[in-house]
Amino acid sequence: MRTWCAWMATFILFISTAAAQVQVDLKKVCHVEDGRLIFTLDLRWSAPQRTEVARLFGLDSALVSDAYALKPVITSNGKVWKTLKIDLHRFELSMEAGKDESREETTEKIFLLDDQWIKRSSIAERESVSYGVNRFTRNILVQSGGRLRFFLPGQKNAKKVFISGSFNAWSTLQTPMQPCDSGWTVSMNLKPGKYSYKFIIDGKWTNDSYNKLRENDTYHGYNNIFFCYNYKFVLSGVPDAHKVLVTGSFNQWNESELRMIRFQGNWVLPLYLREGTHAYKFIVDGTWMTDPANKVTRPDGKGNRNSFMGIGDTLFFTLKGYSNAKKVIVSGNFNAWNQEELAMDKTSDGWQLPYVLAPGNYEYKFIVDGKWITDPSNTYKTGSGNSYLSVKPNYWFRLDQYPDAGKVIVTGSFNNWSTDGSRMEFHQGSWWFPVFLAPGKHTYKFIVDGKWMVDPANNLWENNEYGTNNSVLWIEP
Amino acid sequence: MISRQGSHCLILFLLVMSLLMCPARISAKPAPGYLVPGMLECVSISGKPINDLQGNTVGVTIPLKRAGRLFLLEGTIDNMIGNFILDTGASGLVLNQTYFRNAIAVDDEEAGGVTGSTASVERINVKRLLISDLVYTNMPADVTPLGHLENRRGVKILGLFGMSLLKNLEMVIDLRNNELQIFRLDRTGNRLGPPSPVVKYDIIQKIGEFHSIMFVKATIGGKVLDFCLDTGAESNVLSITAHKNVLGTVTITRRSGLNGVGQDRGEVLFGTLNEFSMGNRQMVPMETILCSLTAMSRKYGCPIDGMLGYDFFAKGKIYINLVKKEMGICLKPEENK
Repeated sequence: MRTWCAWMATFILFISTAAAQVQVDLKKVCHVEDGRLIFTLDLRWSAPQRTEVARLFGLDSALVSDAYALKPVITSNGKVWKTLKIDLHRFELSMEAGKDESREETTEKIFLLDDQWIKRSSIAERESVSYGVNRFTRNILVQSGGRLRFFLPGQKNAKKVFISGSFNAWSTLQTPMQPCDSGWTVSMNLKPGKYSYKFIIDGKWTNDSYNKLRENDTYHGYNNIFFCYNYKFVLSGVPDAHKVLVTGSFNQWNESELRMIRFQGNWVLPLYLREGTHAYKFIVDGTWMTDPANKVTRPDGKGNRNSFMGIGDTLFFTLKGYSNAKKVIVSGNFNAWNQEELAMDKTSDGWQLPYVLAPGNYEYKFIVDGKWITDPSNTYKTGSGNSYLSVKPNYWFRLDQYPDAGKVIVTGSFNNWSTDGSRMEFHQGSWWFPVFLAPGKHTYKFIVDGKWMVDPANNLWENNEYGTNNSVLWIEP
Repeated sequence: MISRQGSHCLILFLLVMSLLMCPARISAKPAPGYLVPGMLECVSISGKPINDLQGNTVGVTIPLKRAGRLFLLEGTIDNMIGNFILDTGASGLVLNQTYFRNAIAVDDEEAGGVTGSTASVERINVKRLLISDLVYTNMPADVTPLGHLENRRGVKILGLFGMSLLKNLEMVIDLRNNELQIFRLDRTGNRLGPPSPVVKYDIIQKIGEFHSIMFVKATIGGKVLDFCLDTGAESNVLSITAHKNVLGTVTITRRSGLNGVGQDRGEVLFGTLNEFSMGNRQMVPMETILCSLTAMSRKYGCPIDGMLGYDFFAKGKIYINLVKKEMGICLKPEENK
């Protein structure tokens, strides 16, 4: 008896091992024949193999389960499937694949594939890096404030030259360059940040041979990259130094990357820095030092201090009253709702905290001695009951009608069609909602006391999948 | 290998002679079908002349942009700048209803355009369309919803630049350099102007035309099939009801889920065309979609076995000459095996 059991165990082990070794040849799983879609499945496939095949070929798990039970006829999602055993291990699962007369087929001829990678808005690129320094081999880009002048040397025989890039949504027409005595020039007003570009010379896309910064354009070529600067590090008082670098939180304290330039007795480095607060230090001939011209230093947690600076406009969170409170904190989605980090300072009539935030839409609350409250001075609220703040909003939704409405919401692609998230406020005869929107297309609607409607003041609208319409709004880069 | 430099000198000579003999024709409005330098006639979907292309250049290079696998060219229409999808699968100019809703319709009958299944299509008249140096005036256009294309691809799309806009022209699509070249042609289909650099095309194939849609023949599994030549298709498409010898050569690699391609198309499969031949030349395998094209065939008014889209146009430099009714492919080195 014991021998028989051992033999059986060995046999089962052999069978299970053999089953595990059956490979799935995905090229032979599916074919179409005589109007039928046929899957050839193997009973020896492991559960993960079956799951992978089901995932790849969009087969419902219940359908696969029934198929492996070799049910002769299976109905799944309104379709009738049949199974047919073809040998000891394999069977076919098939269904009618020709035209289904019962459904109205679309004649939509433009086939759209699911390419997630193509959606890259220019705002995402502009602020996609925390810092940047240009690497031109010739002085072809001159910046004065936010105005940049591009110079393309040569190309004297060209008839038309354009510059196209993320700053103009890659328009091939909107930014022509003008001929000058030694090439072509154009001036543009840009916000600080990172930009990609190419020239178009007589219709042909052309790279900038004087720019060493480049990125793959995903079409077997590359785009050139430049930065519009917004800051300049300056270090004075060390004229005899041989090598000076700046390092900080923006470049993960890299000790060899950002070398400063000697200029009129000082050391300087112009660059782009993303808006926000940055810690930094200088490294002078190997010695680390804080910025002698910046009094703002904070401990680094390791017994030393770093210089701190902010890029962007400082806004003030203020809370009137609560003079008896011991501790007031600002907490929001800009600091991952940290409940300790941003302690407010007590003032003569309340509490205050200066803070730098990049343009965007934020939610926040105050924590007064452990109790969460909304900002009483801010009438804009989110659906979840937080105070709403839009820093440097680039669009104001406005509805001029319905002064007697109790609740007006703006909902759209910008807030994932939240039906309670963006409550408009009534001021001076109109309903308003400020928002910072990324460049590109946005669709939206108003909800007035529960009734959905397109923006009556916007003549751009399109049909939606529900048979109604959405208003359309484009934000330029 | 075929050289297309051919009879350019002869054409140029005849052209110069005709100009010398008939100088008044330069300033006169040409009769339909007649061609003079600086003015190239376009013919509308209905066959009536639309107007002339202006400028004295014999060829123009237009930078192509990409949105996924769609080819965009930028133009100005009635003072509005925006993108048009280069779409040889559309019969003419098709405009996005979002931006042209308030244009005055001249005709509300069913138009030649095939984009948009259930949407109503009305026809308007466009005063001026400018694509680089190509100028079209008093141009009929279909207006239909195209917002779904914008939403999926994240770019503003004014419309579709369809095939009738390329009538009497030769276009060269060069995806490697992201450019579209347009050449003026004489009546026999040869390029005007000085001879172009010789390009050796690996495949030359005749093009059929029906309702302003281009068709080209290709062979799969020993069967000759009619494919619609469609720059607006992000993928090749093969009919799921094709002959079993055809489908037997296709490797099916996956099936569509609930989202993405084929939401409303019934069964949609993704596969590889392993034995696709054109002009007796078998091509390197390329991707395809398999789905029902019954409704599409009904819309076109003729049976369609498939569509050649992005994967086909990515194979190399492709010219389409709508006077000679032929196309040629200069395969990329990696395709030229």
